Amino acid sequence: MTAKPDPLIHPITRLSICGLLAAGADWVEFAALREAAGISDSVLSKQSRVLEDAGYVEVRKGAVGRRPRTWFRLTAQGRQAVQGHLAWLAQLEALSASTRDAQQAGPLSDDHDQPRRVRPPLLGSS
Amino acid sequence: MRDVARDPAALEQLRVRRARLAERMRPPWWYLTGIGILWALVFAAPFSSRYLPHGVRTWPILLAALAVACLLQWGLRQATGIAVATGSLRYPSGRPAVIAIIVLAAAALVTEAFLIDRGLLLPAIVVAVLAVVAEVAAQQAQLRGIRQDLRAGRGAA
Repeated sequence: MTAKPDPLIHPITRLSICGLLAAGADWVEFAALREAAGISDSVLSKQSRVLEDAGYVEVRKGAVGRRPRTWFRLTAQGRQAVQGHLAWLAQLEALSASTRDAQQAGPLSDDHDQPRRVRPPLLGSS
Repeated sequence: MRDVARDPAALEQLRVRRARLAERMRPPWWYLTGIGILWALVFAAPFSSRYLPHGVRTWPILLAALAVACLLQWGLRQATGIAVATGSLRYPSGRPAVIAIIVLAAAALVTEAFLIDRGLLLPAIVVAVLAVVAEVAAQQAQLRGIRQDLRAGRGAA
């Protein structure tokens, strides 16, 4: 799997939805996903439609008695994109941690007159 | 919408949300009771052929156990809002428990059959009861493993 940013799942709301769906469940129900992601009904509806249109999420609608139930799961394409994006974020996190460590160790190093700055890679410049 | 590219906390936020999702995977009280009934049916099967009146065979009991298993799986999915393959080996942390469930069931059924064949009814009942308790504990361990993997995002297919 290659670490690759995906502009579609880059915003935090869509990243949360996709990241939760990629956690290991086969299907996640609308209310469970909404509560875990900490978003509103309307936001989840809107963002899930974007992900569904992109072919990243599969939606199944059903009902228990008279209560409608909507279930979500990642498609193979969506799973691949999420894994790539999460790997990219993990690289970013590692880079950020090493920068922090370098800054903390700064006063002890020889070249503390010129602090090093590591710029995180920008989206789309993988 | 907030940009996460320069937010090193994005993954941390996702971890918090996954932990919230995993917490939903706690089974309701009736689930473990149902699991107990399911295994009681399975371990009652060896007794049925020998001690129940003529006409009661093993397969209707096993069929009832299968129906209870399907019902429990469906109920858990509806109650938690999360569909997981509880019987599969996909979840690394739940895998030892699934293997334990299978090995335990086979060992208990063989032991029961052995004891029943020798007319040792009471020891066979004790084995069946202990096996039911052990299966419920193993099922709890498996769900704990699934929760752990959901939290860590390790349960992906």
